[in-house]
Amino acid sequence: MIVPTSDVRFDVISPADLPGARAEIAALLAASDLDVDGSIETFVVGRSAGRIVACAGLDHNVVKCVAVSQEWRGESLSLRLATEVVRLAASRGQFHLFLYCPPHNRRFFKGWRFYPIVEVPDVVVLMENSPVAIRQYCDALAATRRPGRTIGGIVLNANPFTLGHRYLVERAAAACDWLHVFVVKEDASMFSYADRFSLVAEGVSHVDRLTLHAGSDYIISRATFPGYFLKDRGVVDKSWAAIDLLVFREYMGPALGITHRYVGTEPLDPATYAYNAAMKIWLEQTPSPAPPIVVVEVPRTMVDGAPISASTVRDLLARGDFTGIGKLVPATTLHFLETEAVQHESH
Amino acid sequence: MKVIKEAIAGTLESSDLMVKVAPGTTGKRDIVVHSEVIKQFGAQIRRVVADALDKLAVTEGSIVVEDKGALDCVIRARVQTAVLRGAAIADFPRNALS
Repeated sequence: MIVPTSDVRFDVISPADLPGARAEIAALLAASDLDVDGSIETFVVGRSAGRIVACAGLDHNVVKCVAVSQEWRGESLSLRLATEVVRLAASRGQFHLFLYCPPHNRRFFKGWRFYPIVEVPDVVVLMENSPVAIRQYCDALAATRRPGRTIGGIVLNANPFTLGHRYLVERAAAACDWLHVFVVKEDASMFSYADRFSLVAEGVSHVDRLTLHAGSDYIISRATFPGYFLKDRGVVDKSWAAIDLLVFREYMGPALGITHRYVGTEPLDPATYAYNAAMKIWLEQTPSPAPPIVVVEVPRTMVDGAPISASTVRDLLARGDFTGIGKLVPATTLHFLETEAVQHESH
Repeated sequence: MKVIKEAIAGTLESSDLMVKVAPGTTGKRDIVVHSEVIKQFGAQIRRVVADALDKLAVTEGSIVVEDKGALDCVIRARVQTAVLRGAAIADFPRNALS
């Protein structure tokens, strides 16, 4: 090493500055078989004599696209990079961070004090920067555990809550001793998490033997959906579902004693269809330290010959067709949508 | 002193440590220490962390220490800084820091 690592200066590259640095970052990542991930908002880069020799990307609370130039490895430069990323995230109010890496780099990121959560063998490991967070989460879940032989689990985005969701919940509850329902927390949908959650709560309030759980970073979130660093996009698609499902099987499942996961059949959306197919693989069939969770597909409710879908409701809403919406959603959701529409107009 | 928000102090580099504090959920002080020298100095590190927290009268909150072989004085300084950031205190209680 001719230049000491103390000469490397760290810098934050904002989205506005990214175009200028993108080619250089892409070249550094390419040397480590990584692509620039489109969802990254900000990069931390280390420069020596103006040249980028280390980088790490941050997408909200997920660290990705980490690389150190070959000739700078073995000098602990990455630990300074790690510190800069953690600080950058902290300055944005993100303290609970996740990270994806290939399994052979697991040890490396342990030095960053990231701890493994689940691994898709030979493909990817999901890690988080806390030695206790997922255990604490599971402990809190376990406090709501209920006895029974058949314990069901459902994860809903409910964007917004429809009669289809209600039918799924009712069917599952009828087949189970207890049913645990989770609402996806990520605010990446048309309706906010708070609105989606309260519509689900109202829509399932008549169902006995049911616990409604707040969403978390561990269920269908930005953190459990990678889709970035692997060259082969087919592998990416496979692993995003796998990670999310393995977290469910290895953590939520044992914490609550979930034996069955219920899901609606998916005739319309290809991404959800693929996710349902992946469920059977990762929850039931793949060998795992956690017991298998049986996947039960409940046929979609049909109205006027078409399956009920939240996306149809959103389309009707865009056209202001409340008569059409009324056929697909419970009164509570309809009331919410009408009130929202009135407020939009008055603004 | 009460930790009212999440905060960090320190680095992940060798001979340093990173301290993360967060408001408590259990009503008590929840300290987790990870160290590369836990076998040799684990008890000593815990003592220094507990002492620094005692002096700041921190009775509840989550404190995670990721140690990379730091000296006691560094551990104390990082814990103090993380707590002061997490307590969002402008007035520096100097007599509690010695």
